[in-house]
Amino acid sequence: MKPNRQWRPSAWILALAFAAPALAHHSFAMYDNERSITVKGVVTKWQWTNPHAYLEIDAKDASGAVKHYVLEGTSINIMVRGGWRSNMIKVGDQVTAVAAPAKSGDPAGLLLEVTFANGEKKDMSIPAGYTFKRTP
Amino acid sequence: MRVQKILSLTAALLVFGQLALAAQKPITAIPDITGTWESARDPSAPPAQQIQLKPEYLQQKQALTQAISAATARGEPLATTTQRCLGDGMPGMMGGPFPMEILQSKGQVTIIQEAYTQVRRIYLDKPQKPVDEVEPGFFGRSVGHWEGGVLMVDTIGIKEDVLYRSNPHSSEMRIKEKIYYAPSGFLRDEVTIEDPVVLEKPYTYTVSYRRLPDYEMLEYVCEDNRYYVDEKGQQKLHLDAPVQK
Repeated sequence: MKPNRQWRPSAWILALAFAAPALAHHSFAMYDNERSITVKGVVTKWQWTNPHAYLEIDAKDASGAVKHYVLEGTSINIMVRGGWRSNMIKVGDQVTAVAAPAKSGDPAGLLLEVTFANGEKKDMSIPAGYTFKRTP
Repeated sequence: MRVQKILSLTAALLVFGQLALAAQKPITAIPDITGTWESARDPSAPPAQQIQLKPEYLQQKQALTQAISAATARGEPLATTTQRCLGDGMPGMMGGPFPMEILQSKGQVTIIQEAYTQVRRIYLDKPQKPVDEVEPGFFGRSVGHWEGGVLMVDTIGIKEDVLYRSNPHSSEMRIKEKIYYAPSGFLRDEVTIEDPVVLEKPYTYTVSYRRLPDYEMLEYVCEDNRYYVDEKGQQKLHLDAPVQK
């Protein structure tokens, strides 16, 4: 059988095709997709905005010192289509967030999942979120 | 016998008349494409043609894509227009993960892309202007007309720094679109990019859409961008919430 010569994407073209959507919108390459962190603490800010939502949490470490985390979500439009509502989180709520940590080492991350004060859990519906590994 | 003959002749004439009428009747039905849509994969859509840039522009693109890949691999992605809350412009706004709304009104087809609330207006049955009479912008000037069930659109006047998939283009770029219902039932936008300055030859790709029957478009205001562009052109995140609510 003759191979189809009409369309032969080279590795270069394929790389571009995958790079392009990331380029068209925000890149999440600042975050480590090989591991995740779990941040448990009190919500200090819940920023319901485009282009992305942000969740800020004060979390106590083992020594009791408070560390402030800034966790980035996705577009609130994508979140609404994924079942999110702005009133699901309030300042002062006790939450547990799973995030892909910033490669820079800053206390920041890409929000992957939130467990609310009432124990319910919700995924962030990040586009291609499955490419971010969740590690213990 | 005679009555039978007359009856069968009348029947034949009636059938013939109907057929003749049907044949004469021009196809004037304009498809209803009004509504909300999301881009979807149509397996029956033809594959995109390969872009053939002229050598100097290919070099330009390779340098850009290499810089993007290297920065991404370092975990320090380069900033894009979205860090400045800018939409894709044409033709990028016709794709992507957000829904879009098409509105057909008298003399105009309006397309609203949810992301960044991008709007383009296609003026029907109007002549296109010469390129140098159209101020360059993100969406350009679009004119269109229906040919049978196909909306033929011509767009010019896209700013040279409004890039689609990192491809350089000149002020001479023309975007030709054919928007129609594919036999598969998907709405299809067949996009052909012409640019005699930058391209060896025009190339065509398609975007397919499925209808979102009950979807109400959401607003999208790029209200509080916590990204900023540093001196190296990289995308950085403000950790200290620049806007307090």
